[in-house]
Amino acid sequence: MIDRLRFVLQETRESLLRNATMQAAAISTACIALVLLGGAGMALYKLDATAQSLPSRFEAEGVLKMSAPRAQAQQIKTQLEAMPEVERVTLTPREVAWEQEKQKLANDVNLADLPNPLPDKLTVRVRDPQTLPAVSARIAQSPLVEEVIDSRKELQTVLEVSRLVRWIGLGAGGLLLLAALILIYNTVRLTIFSRQREVRVMALLGATLRSIRLPFILEGMTQGVAGGVLAALLVLLTAAFLSDYVVSQWPFLKDMPPGLPPLVVMIGLPGLGALIGGLCAWWATLRYVRI
Amino acid sequence: MVELKQVSVVYGEQHALRRVSLSVEKGEFVFLVGATGAGKSTLFKLLYGELRPTEGEVWVLGQPLHQIKPRELPYLRRRMGIVPQDYPLLPRKTVWENIAYGLRAIGYNETAVRQRVAQVLALVGLNEQARQMPSQLSGGEAQRAAIARAIANHPPLLIADEPTANLDPDTSWEIIELLMRINLRGATVIVSTHNRTIVDRACQRVVAMDRGQIISDVPRGGYPVELDRLYASVML
Ligand SMILES: Nc1ncnc2c1ncn2[C@@H]1O[C@H](COP(=O)(O)OP(=O)(O)O)[C@@H](O)[C@H]1O
Ligand SMILES: [Mg+2]
Repeated sequence: MIDRLRFVLQETRESLLRNATMQAAAISTACIALVLLGGAGMALYKLDATAQSLPSRFEAEGVLKMSAPRAQAQQIKTQLEAMPEVERVTLTPREVAWEQEKQKLANDVNLADLPNPLPDKLTVRVRDPQTLPAVSARIAQSPLVEEVIDSRKELQTVLEVSRLVRWIGLGAGGLLLLAALILIYNTVRLTIFSRQREVRVMALLGATLRSIRLPFILEGMTQGVAGGVLAALLVLLTAAFLSDYVVSQWPFLKDMPPGLPPLVVMIGLPGLGALIGGLCAWWATLRYVRI
Repeated sequence: MVELKQVSVVYGEQHALRRVSLSVEKGEFVFLVGATGAGKSTLFKLLYGELRPTEGEVWVLGQPLHQIKPRELPYLRRRMGIVPQDYPLLPRKTVWENIAYGLRAIGYNETAVRQRVAQVLALVGLNEQARQMPSQLSGGEAQRAAIARAIANHPPLLIADEPTANLDPDTSWEIIELLMRINLRGATVIVSTHNRTIVDRACQRVVAMDRGQIISDVPRGGYPVELDRLYASVML
């Protein structure tokens, strides 16, 4: 068993040492592809977590007209609370809002003498962010409502960035992955050609197809893993550097939710590399290793 | 042991074999003779399953090679020693490693490999050359190394395609003597050649082929006279 393993590993090593340039090309392409995919994956994870944590996903504000009587406002509140999608409705009277505003700005400006410019405000919280547009539209229907701020703008931004990352990262990563697949396939194919004699000798001596193919498949997997390990290191270093930089520029972003755990990247990218490398190589052996 | 029934092989338009029937019993030593292009290698490739017949049946060691599953072929080949015509020793491995390589490839452990390689090297008389690279060997030594590798797994059937090609008469005879010795130890041997001197001298069964057909089959004969005429035309 151990002798068997050693034999297979020796064969794999010989395959890998055959054409070093090709191996380097295959490994570095796999690495770049995995960097893009891994980077996109990490960014998407982070953006998704951020989007999830934004409170505004659940809330819309209805700003009432200045002329709206308090009793009518209460009535709208009751109507909205009756909707099944709505979790909670808060009515913030203009006096309360003005007090809060004055306190918030107390250090900067003195607003004490000014008349209250704020209207009454209804804050509606829904159970499912999906229903927010419908609920907003419903609030807007009331003639007493001046304006609906369903403050989804930040969310929209996050989602747009997400979409961009998805398109660029996954698109370019996917294309490069395809290039890596072709390169690994081709490298393994060339190794097979350069080892025709060994293949024939083994085949005529009665080695099974599986045992003849195994070293070539391991070769492909090794390329994938090597690319994956490099990619994981690059992605993690870049991410650490970037997040330090971002936080130093915009300290308030400190509260963002944590990103993908590094261990997942450290295992995931080489794993993905091994999988695709192995599959390509397996495919090449199916086509070119015959007995 | 070996049985061909009405076998034809067609490469594209060309018939390499035409309705060939041949039967070889256990323990026999058979020469397959014929000019270049007669179909000897094609017949051998059928025997070790590198080629499938276009028509007819090929039975080797009780197995139907005309319909064998690729999965089963390796196990049949382990019971055959194969020395193909263009049999390259692996150029970057020593003689010893060349023989060991095949044994490892079919799952021998290191102890068994060491033991078996020593035995076959002694049998073919290459103890001295064990550590040499194939490029350092003479033609006869290289052939003997290839034969050693083929018989390392104790196959009951040995097939050697033109092992005497490009060898001088004395060395050719040494190779044939080696093959006959292996035959005396119990293996069935089929060997192709067009060296008339050794065929005459060996006095074994001779099957003659020409243009894809068997034209004579003599139990203890010399080189068939029919072929002399054919050869004369080829040489000219
Ligand atoms: N792979 C092939 N493709 C086409 N024709 C072939 C192939 N191999 C052999 N042949 C033809 O089949 C015939 C028999 O060849 P072969 O069996 O090699 O003869 P021998 O070994 O007796 O010299 C020849 O005419 C040869 O040209
Ligand atoms: Mg031939």
